[in-house]
Amino acid sequence: MSRLCRITAFALGSLFGLTLVAPAIAAEMMEKPGGFPERPLSMIVPYGPGGGSGQVSRAMIQGVKDATGIDINPDYKPGGSGMVGLKTYMAAPADGYTVLEHIDDATSAFAIGKSKIHPAKDLIPLVISQITFSQIYIRSKETRFTDWGSFVKFAQAQNGKATIANVSGEGSMERINMNRTAEHFGFKIQQISFDKGGPRYAALKGGQVDALFEQPGDVRGFLESGDFKPILTFLKERPAAFANVPSMTDVGLKFTPLMRFRGFYVHKDVPAARVKYLQWAFQNGYHADSYLAFNKKKYMDLIPSFRDTKGAKQLIDDTMKIYKKTYKEMGLIQ
Amino acid sequence: MLEQLAGGALTLFSDPLSIGIFFAGLIGGMLFGAIPGVNMLTLGAIFLPFSGILSASDAIMFYSVLYCSGTYGGAVTAILFNIPGSPENAPTAFDGYPMTQQGQAGKAIGAAVLCSSLGGTCSVFIMIAFTPLLADWAIRAFGPPEIFALVFLGISVASSVGARTLWKGWLSVLLGLMVATVGLDPVAGIERYEFGFVYLLAGIHFIPLILGFFAVSEVFVQAERRVVGIYRMHAVSAKLPSLLEFWRLKIAVIRSVLLGFFAGILPGIGATLAAFLSYNEAVRWSRTPEKFGTGRLEGVVASETANNAATGAAMIPLLALGLPGGALTAMMIGVFQMHDMEPGPLVFINSSELVFVVFAAMFFANIAIFVLGYLEVKTVTQLLRIPFQFLAPAILLLSTIGAYAVRGLATDVLVMFAAGIIAFFLRRSGYSVAGIVLGVILGRLGEQNFAQAMQILSYDMGAFISRPIVALLIGAGVLTIAINVYRALKGTRRGLGVKD
Repeated sequence: MSRLCRITAFALGSLFGLTLVAPAIAAEMMEKPGGFPERPLSMIVPYGPGGGSGQVSRAMIQGVKDATGIDINPDYKPGGSGMVGLKTYMAAPADGYTVLEHIDDATSAFAIGKSKIHPAKDLIPLVISQITFSQIYIRSKETRFTDWGSFVKFAQAQNGKATIANVSGEGSMERINMNRTAEHFGFKIQQISFDKGGPRYAALKGGQVDALFEQPGDVRGFLESGDFKPILTFLKERPAAFANVPSMTDVGLKFTPLMRFRGFYVHKDVPAARVKYLQWAFQNGYHADSYLAFNKKKYMDLIPSFRDTKGAKQLIDDTMKIYKKTYKEMGLIQ
Repeated sequence: MLEQLAGGALTLFSDPLSIGIFFAGLIGGMLFGAIPGVNMLTLGAIFLPFSGILSASDAIMFYSVLYCSGTYGGAVTAILFNIPGSPENAPTAFDGYPMTQQGQAGKAIGAAVLCSSLGGTCSVFIMIAFTPLLADWAIRAFGPPEIFALVFLGISVASSVGARTLWKGWLSVLLGLMVATVGLDPVAGIERYEFGFVYLLAGIHFIPLILGFFAVSEVFVQAERRVVGIYRMHAVSAKLPSLLEFWRLKIAVIRSVLLGFFAGILPGIGATLAAFLSYNEAVRWSRTPEKFGTGRLEGVVASETANNAATGAAMIPLLALGLPGGALTAMMIGVFQMHDMEPGPLVFINSSELVFVVFAAMFFANIAIFVLGYLEVKTVTQLLRIPFQFLAPAILLLSTIGAYAVRGLATDVLVMFAAGIIAFFLRRSGYSVAGIVLGVILGRLGEQNFAQAMQILSYDMGAFISRPIVALLIGAGVLTIAINVYRALKGTRRGLGVKD
C-alpha cells in the first residue's frame, strides 16, 4: 500500500470510522433497540491477556467491530480458575453493556458445585466461537524425556513430584483429562494452575515445570519456533495437522476426551431486545473475515467451532451431563 | 546493531504518518497516564481497531511509545496533587507530594522527568544489546519460588515507609496484606471475607483504594488544617534539581535502572511492582530511612527510574519469546496477530526491521519525554496557585470520575471515600498508607506465587529454601526485619514519615 493510501485510510478511519461510518453500517444491518448501544461495551475476560481466552476475546472484539462497528473494551479478571471474572461479571449491571467471555470451566464449576451460575440458564450464550482439543507439550530441547513413552517413565519415577502447568481448578477439563491419563499409566502428577498465559508458557520454557497441558492454537508461536513440541493429542484419532503426534487410541487411552470451548455470554436479565441485538453482533463477529482467519490460524477449523445460542445451550447441557457423570464416578459429587 | 538501529530511526522519521503516530502515542500516553481511572490501556484499547489499517511497524511502534509515555504520565498528578494517575506512579506520591508541600514541586517533577527518561533510555540500550540472552535467562532463573522470595524481600522493608514507629509500620503492612486476601483465592477460587457481597468476590480494586488513600485523605487533611487555621498554600517553584543533586543520587539511579529492568523482564510483574520494589530498596540502602515519606528526592528518583526501566524490559519476553508481561504487551500480541505475525524468536529473523523500528521509537520516546517534561515543569506547577477552595473540589471530582471509570461501578466510588476516611484517621494516628498500599500490591502477587511454588516443589519447604536465589532473597529479607526490630528495641528509630 502506498504511503498516500495509508495516510488516507488512517485519516478516514480515525475521523469517521468510530463515530459515523461504523454505526451507519450497523444500523443498515439491524436496527439498534432503543439506541442500544450508545457507548462502547466492556468484555470481562476471566483469564490473563496472553492466554487462549485473551487471544480469542481480542479476535472477537475485532470481528464484532468489523462486522457491526461496535467497540468493545476488554477487562481482564484472572484468578480462581475463571471464578473471579465470572462472579465479577454477575456483579455488573445486567444492561447489556457488559459481556462475558468464558470457557468450559464455567460448566464444570457448576457441575461440581463450585459455582452457582449455570452458563446456559443464568447466562445467555451469544455464540460459542472455539471448540478444540488439548495436547501435552514438553520443551523441544528436553533431555530427560523426548516422547510420550519416556515422559510416562519419568513421571512414574518421580513418585508424584512431576509437574504440569495448566489453567485448572478442581474438576476442570484439564484435571479430569490429566487425572484419567495419569491413573491409566499409574503415575501421579502435580497440576499447577497459572491463570495468565504468559507466566504459564514461561513456566515450561524456563524449566519451572516438566510439561504443559494446553490447546495447540494457543501455543502455535512456540510450536513454529521449535520451543515446544506436543507428545500426546487428546483425540481418538490423529488430526492431519498433528499426524506425527500419538493420539489417545495410539497410547491405549479409552475414555472420551473433554473438549475446550470458548464463547461469549450475557446475563439472563438483560432486556430481550438487547440480547437479540448482541446475538446478531457476536454471531456476525464470528463470520467476519478477521475472526475466521484467526480461528484457522489457531487450528480451530479442525473441529467445527461455531454454535449459535441454541447450539451453545445444547453443547453446555451435553457437557454438563458428561461432567456430572464423571464426577459421580470419581466420587466428587453425590 | 547500531546500523540497524539507525535504519529503524530512518524508517520511523522518513514517513509523515509514522511521525504523526509517534507523537499521538507520546502525547496520548502522557495525557491518559495522568488522568486517574483511565490509563494507557484505555487508549490502547481505543486504538486497537485502527491497528489493522496501519502497517505492522506503525501499529507496534504506537504501542511501544504509548507504553513509555503512559508509564511516566501519572507522575505529575502524583507529585502535584497526591493523585497517582496509574498504579505504577503510586510510590512516586510517597515523597513527591510531600516535596510539593515543601514548595519543591518543580524539583520533584524535574527529577521524575529526568529519571523516567533516563530509566527508559538505559532500558532500551540494554534491550537492544541483550534481548534474546536476557529473556532466556530470566525465565530460567526466576520461577514462582524466586518471585515469591522477591516479594518477601519487598515486604520486609515496607514497614519502614511512612509510619511513626516500626510497629505501626508493620501493622500498616499487615492491614494491606489482609485487604489483599479479600475475594477469591488465586489458586482454587475459594471465597474469602466477601460477607455475602458479590462486589467483594473480585477483591477490592486497587485504583479506588489508592485514590482514597492518597487523594481523598489528603483533601481531608488539608481541609482540617484550614478549619483549625494552620493551612498555608504550597509555595510554587519550577526550579529543577541541580546536577550536583543528581550526581549524589547516582547509585540510586543505577540500582533503580537494574531493579526496574529486572522486574520488567519477568512475565506478570511489570512496571508497578518495579516501582514499589525500587522504592523499598531505596529505603533499605539509605542511611536515613526514617526520612522517606517526608519528601526525599531519592524516593521520586527510585520510583520513576524503575517504572520506566521496566517498559523496555517488558519488550524482551514479548519480542524474544512471545510472552506478554502485562495487558499492554498482550494487546501488542494482538496487533502482531492482526498483521499475521507471531512475536517470538522468529520475529528477529523474519521482521528484524520492525524490531529495530520499535527499539528506535522507544529510544526517541524517552528522549521526547525529557523535552516535553521540561516544558511541563515550567507550566503545570502553576496549577498549585489555584486556591484550596477550588482545588479540593476539583481533586475530589477528578478522583470520583476516576474511581467510577475503572469499571462503571458506584460501589468503587463508595470504596474510595471509605478508604479516604479510614486513611485520614490512620494518618493522624501515625500509621502508614504507603505501607498499606505496599501490603496490598505485594500480598496479591506473593500469595499466588507462593501457592504455585509450593505445588511445584511438592510442599517441600526444604527444597524451597535450598534454591540459591530464594535463600539469598529470603535471607536478606529476614536480616532486614531483624535489623529493624533491633533498632526499634534500641530506641534508635524515632519519628518517621507522616506526622499529621
